[in-house]
Amino acid sequence: MTRPAEKRTVDMQIIADWVEPGTRVLDLGCGSGALLDYLVQSKKVSAVGVDLDFSRITASVRRGLSAYQGDMTSFMRAFPEQHFDRVICSRTVQELADPTGVILEALRVGRTLTVGFVNHGFWKNRINTLVQGRKIRNAVYTTEWFESRPANPLTIADFEHFCVAKKIRIARHAHLAGNWHTPCRTLPNLLAGYALYDLAR
Amino acid sequence: MTDDLEIDPAADAIPRHLAPDDVGLVVPRDFVFAQPFTFKSGQVISGFTLRYETYGALNATRDNAILICHALSGDHHCAGWHSPADKKPGWWNNLIGPGKAVDTRRFFVVCANVLGGCQGSTGPSSLNPETGRPYGIQFPFVTIGDMVRAQKLLLDHLGVAELHGVIGGSMGGMQAMLMAIEFPRFTRRVLAMATTGRESAQAIAFNEVGRQAIMQDPAWNHGDYSKDAGPRVGLAIARMMAHITYVSDASMDRKFGRRKKENANGDAYTFDQQFEVEGYLRHQGQSFINRFDANSYLYITRALDQFDLAHAYGSLEQAFAPLEGDTLVIGFTSDWLFPPEQNRTLALALLRAGKRASYAELSTDLGHDSFLLESEELYSLVRAFLERGQHYDSNYSI
Repeated sequence: MTRPAEKRTVDMQIIADWVEPGTRVLDLGCGSGALLDYLVQSKKVSAVGVDLDFSRITASVRRGLSAYQGDMTSFMRAFPEQHFDRVICSRTVQELADPTGVILEALRVGRTLTVGFVNHGFWKNRINTLVQGRKIRNAVYTTEWFESRPANPLTIADFEHFCVAKKIRIARHAHLAGNWHTPCRTLPNLLAGYALYDLAR
Repeated sequence: MTDDLEIDPAADAIPRHLAPDDVGLVVPRDFVFAQPFTFKSGQVISGFTLRYETYGALNATRDNAILICHALSGDHHCAGWHSPADKKPGWWNNLIGPGKAVDTRRFFVVCANVLGGCQGSTGPSSLNPETGRPYGIQFPFVTIGDMVRAQKLLLDHLGVAELHGVIGGSMGGMQAMLMAIEFPRFTRRVLAMATTGRESAQAIAFNEVGRQAIMQDPAWNHGDYSKDAGPRVGLAIARMMAHITYVSDASMDRKFGRRKKENANGDAYTFDQQFEVEGYLRHQGQSFINRFDANSYLYITRALDQFDLAHAYGSLEQAFAPLEGDTLVIGFTSDWLFPPEQNRTLALALLRAGKRASYAELSTDLGHDSFLLESEELYSLVRAFLERGQHYDSNYSI
């Protein structure tokens, strides 16, 4: 298994590959701004992050980023259509109270929406659930259920079904194996540990 | 701003002005601009004085200056002490000093009493050189923009080439934003707290009640009164009312609740002071009339009411279009005078205009005056904003 620190950066590299240089990027759930900082350094993007937490906003401001403390949907509603070249929703989508609302709003204010999430259909996650019969805990999900934020664990099949149902075009995707590094090309819902999608209207 | 920052001298082991993170004893200075100054209204005065203080030193490249802008009733004395016997330090002493969030070892901090004020700067209580008597309401109407232009002349006089930042809460936040709009190349960072791009009807309404209290006081006499007279009752009432808008239901309740004054006569049916909050407000009113001029109060509240970025520039986005620096807007959850929503609006407009801008919101129950709060969270955000991208060797921890 890859170490968690590397797992944290692997999707940063893929997203950076997808981001066009000098574009306007919005990160929903920017945390302390690590991803945006990386994109500013590597792609000279003009970056804005949204997060709910004051100390994370402080950390983002310390990195020199634009960061907005508040609700992501109300934030996006304050912007005209396609104001951003790309909206990023990395490892946030499973914790959204209204995923459909956020994704549709992100596709309104952004030309492209990048969504990255842990695939709960991954075989190890299935076996975990089957054998242990308990909430998954691993290098990524370290907390007990009673210490965790509410979450909607989703799978690659779930997500692609959602895109079909909402008539959202998948412009490209990246499925990564359990090590979150090697590309996974067969049976992704079973064999991929992590998934990234570029969506467009 | 409220006058609550009293510190118990006995609580300190060493004299407070000698504390290592204190700017210490400071001396106000006067900047005299001896040329005609034209106000936004078109009215002209032959010159003006701004009283100001500075802390720290201007660097060789003259670009480490931070301008502090005060609120309605504030002044130039924002840090340090005028005398070891002072009951309290400058109004933002918790934020400004060696090693503090606005670090005077790094930055050259400047704060001036606004044009139209009454703490040493030229305003309606100043003598009109043409008549030899106080201007009174013959003083030109002052706008936030006039205040900012006067402060820019002071900064030019001090040799400041570029502002590292401009910081202000409430009316100070309005000045900070206008400084960046009017002098975009000069202003690298704007930190505006508990402020607004334009007052709501409610805020204007409160100001109007204050003005009416002053103007309905017969001693106001159409603004014509001598220094030791004037509408003291009206001004005190204006201050009592305004003070309520600077705090919050929760903070007043915590501070006073329904506690009665010690000498209150039980449940007596009298209109004498019974509740502590009444005595507190009366004290606020009384201490205010000893330091503030009623005409200045009229002028400055009018300047606040007239301030409307969206109207003046077509839209907020157009107002912010010239900005070249970074902006940080901070709102406070319990601020019901300039509520978080009005602060958020500023940051969103800046971002829509394609500017670098951040918005943070601090949960406090202290109301509008929360920007004066002693909060490590606030300090660390202010420091992060002012010092980001700068690498210093000095290891400091507070």
